[in-house]
Amino acid sequence: MAKNKKILIIDDEAYIRRVLELKLKNRGYEVLTAANGEEGFSAIESQQPEVVISDIMMPKLDGKTLCEKTNPIKKKRRFLTIIVTARINPEERDWIAQMQDTIFMEKPFSPNKIVDAIEKYLKGRE
Amino acid sequence: MKAKTIGIAFFVLILLSLAIFLQLLIRTEKKAVIKDLYSKGDHIVSLLSLHSIKDFEGAKRDLLINTLMHSDLHKGIAYCFIHDQNGKPLVSLDLNPIASEIPYNIQVNSLAAMGLVHQFFKPIESNINIYEFAKPIFEKGEKTGTVRVGFKPPPISILSAERISFIGVIAFFILAAIVLSYYGFVKAFKPLENFLTGILGPADSSSTNLKNSSRSFGIEPMMQDCRKSITELKGRLDEVETQNKDLSCRLGVMRFEKNQASHILNSINLGIIVTDIHENVGFINDYMLNLLKKKQSDVIDSPLEQVIKDEKFSALISQQQGFNNPAADHHFDISFPNLAPENTYQVSYNYLTDDNKALIGKLIIFYNTTREKEAAQAINDFTAHVAHELMTPLTTIKSYSEMLMDGEILDVATQKEFYNIINGETDRLSRLIKDLLNLSQIEMGSLSLNAGRVKSDWLFEGCLEAVAGAARKKNISILKRLPDNFPTLIGDKELLKGAIINILGNAVKYTPENGQVEFELSEDDNRVVFDITDTGYGISNEDLSRIFDKFYRSSNPNIASQQGTGLGLAITSQIISLHGGEIKVESKIDKGTHFTVKIPKREDYLGEK
Repeated sequence: MAKNKKILIIDDEAYIRRVLELKLKNRGYEVLTAANGEEGFSAIESQQPEVVISDIMMPKLDGKTLCEKTNPIKKKRRFLTIIVTARINPEERDWIAQMQDTIFMEKPFSPNKIVDAIEKYLKGRE
Repeated sequence: MKAKTIGIAFFVLILLSLAIFLQLLIRTEKKAVIKDLYSKGDHIVSLLSLHSIKDFEGAKRDLLINTLMHSDLHKGIAYCFIHDQNGKPLVSLDLNPIASEIPYNIQVNSLAAMGLVHQFFKPIESNINIYEFAKPIFEKGEKTGTVRVGFKPPPISILSAERISFIGVIAFFILAAIVLSYYGFVKAFKPLENFLTGILGPADSSSTNLKNSSRSFGIEPMMQDCRKSITELKGRLDEVETQNKDLSCRLGVMRFEKNQASHILNSINLGIIVTDIHENVGFINDYMLNLLKKKQSDVIDSPLEQVIKDEKFSALISQQQGFNNPAADHHFDISFPNLAPENTYQVSYNYLTDDNKALIGKLIIFYNTTREKEAAQAINDFTAHVAHELMTPLTTIKSYSEMLMDGEILDVATQKEFYNIINGETDRLSRLIKDLLNLSQIEMGSLSLNAGRVKSDWLFEGCLEAVAGAARKKNISILKRLPDNFPTLIGDKELLKGAIINILGNAVKYTPENGQVEFELSEDDNRVVFDITDTGYGISNEDLSRIFDKFYRSSNPNIASQQGTGLGLAITSQIISLHGGEIKVESKIDKGTHFTVKIPKREDYLGEK
C-alpha cells in the first residue's frame, strides 16, 4: 500500500534520522534524509517527496522558515509536512494552522504515531 | 513769636513784590510810548522826505505847518527842521521852547549816513530826552536836503487814577490768594494730620498732643509728627527688609528645589513630556530631547503631534476617553521608526488636573523596554532551546526503546547498538540537567564549593583531554604552553575544570577545520593564568558585551549553527568569580578570540562558601 511513496526526514540529530528511517523503511516507504533545512529544501524540490518530517530547531534553515518557503510549492503539488517540536506555543499553533497540509508532533514523539499520521494522510488522498 | 515774624516777612514780601510789579509796569509803558514815538517819527519823516525841497518854500510851508498842527501827528513834536544841502534852513518850526537849544551842527554830522537816523540827546539844563528822526530828501538821485523832526516823549505818571485802581485790583487778588492759600494749606494738611494720628495709634499719648495741636496747626508740631512717622516708617521699612530677606531666602530655596527637581527629571532614565490642555508641550526632559534630537527651545509650546511626528503615537495619545475612567488603559507599547527603530518604548500617560479636578494637561512617560523585551525574548528562546536540548535525547530514548519493544529490530547486533544509543543519550540528558542545575544553584547562591588543593597541571591536562576528541575530529591542533613550575591553587577542582573546559571547548567548537588553538598555563602576581587563543570565527563587538549573559547566543550563523544552550560562558564566569578570579576576552572577526582566566592561588580569595 505504501510502496514507492517517498518520505523525507530533515533533522540535525543523526539518531533520530536513523530510527525514523528504519521504521519507515520497515513499512515499505522510500526514505530520504537531510541534516539541515537547506539540504531539506533542495531535496523537496528535486525529489518531490509525499511526506516531509522536519525538526523545527535546525542549523542553516529552521523548520519554520522551511515550511513558509515550501508552502507555495504545495499549491502545485500537495505533500504533508510533519513538524516535530519540543515545545508548542499558541503562536506556533497559529502559523502551523495557516500552512497547507501541515501538522505538528511534540517531542518526545512515538515513531508509531508518525507512521499513523502518514498513513492517514496518504489514505485521505486516495 | 515766630508766627509774628513770619507775618511781617510776608508783609514786606508783598510790598516788595508790589514795588517790583509797579516798576515793571512803568517800564513796559515807557517802552510802549517810545515804540509809538518811533513809528510816528518814521512816518512823519518819511512823509516829509517824499516832497521836493522846493515844496517847503513860500506858501507851501504854511500848508505844511497847518497840516502838522491840525493833525494828531504833531503831538509830542518838539521841532521840525528842513534844510537844504548846504545846511540852509528852509523850514524851522520850534513848537516848543526847547527847540532853540538844539545844536544844529550835531545833527548835521550825524546825518552823513543815507536813510533814516534816530538819535536822542538831552538839551542843556533839561531833564527831557529828545528823540530825533532824520531822513535825507532825494530828488532825481541827488540829495537836496534833510528833514529832521525832534520828539519829546509824553510824560508817564506813576500815580495815575487808572493805575491806582489797577494796582488796587492786583493787591486785592494777591491778598485773596494769600488768604485762600492759607485755608487751602490748612485743609490740605488736615488729612495728613489724620494720617499721622492713624500711624501713631489711639493708645499713644502723643496722639492727644496731636489732636490738641491740630487746633493750632503749625509747622513745628507737624515736623514732630513727621519725624515720628518717619521713625515709624523706618521701623516698618526694617521689618519689610527683614521680610524681604526672608522671602528671597525662601525663593532661593525654592529655586534650588526646582533646579534639583529639574536635574532629577533630566538625569532620570525615562522620557518625560508634560503637555497642556491644548496638547502643547510645556515641559520636556533631556532624555526625550536626546531621543528626538531637538533643542528645548524648538519644542516648548509646540503641539505634541509636531514634536513627535508619528501617526500611531498621535492617535493613541490623543484618546481622551480615558479621562474620568480609572479603568482605562493608559499604557501602550510603541517604537518610533524615524527616531530609534530598534527600540521599543512603553508609553504611560496620566491626566493632570487642577484643584477642581478639571483637566489641565497630560504627563507622558516613555520607558525604553527594549532590554526587557530582549531579556524576555532571550528567556523565551532559552526555554525553547532547553526544551529542545532536553527533548532530543528523550525522543531518541523513546523511539529506540519503542522499536525494540515492538520487535522491529531482529538483528542482535543492531539491538545492542540501540541499547548503547539509549544509554549514551541518557548520559547526555543527565549532563545537561546537571549543567542547568549548576547554573541555577550559582544563580540562587546555593552552590557549595568543594574547596581543596588543585594542581594546575592536573587542571591543564584534564581540560585538554576533554576537548581532544572534538579537536581531532576537526583536525584542529592544540598548541600547549607550560611553565617550568606548576603552581597549586585552592578551589573546587571539578567546577574549575568545567569552567575552563567550556572556554577551551568553545575555542575548538568555533574554529573551522584544520585551525589551531593555543592553550597556555602561566603564573602572574600570585595568580594562575590560563590563556586560550583560537583562530576561529571571532566575536563581534555587539556579541562581545553579552557573551557572559546567560541564555545569550550569537546570531552569527557560524556560531548559531553549533549546538549549545547559551549557558557555558555564563556558568564559567560565575565559577571564576566565585573563586575571586577574573575573565577577559578580546576578539577580531574572522581572526580569532583570546580568553584570559586569572584565578588567585590563595585560600583567602575564596568566597564564604
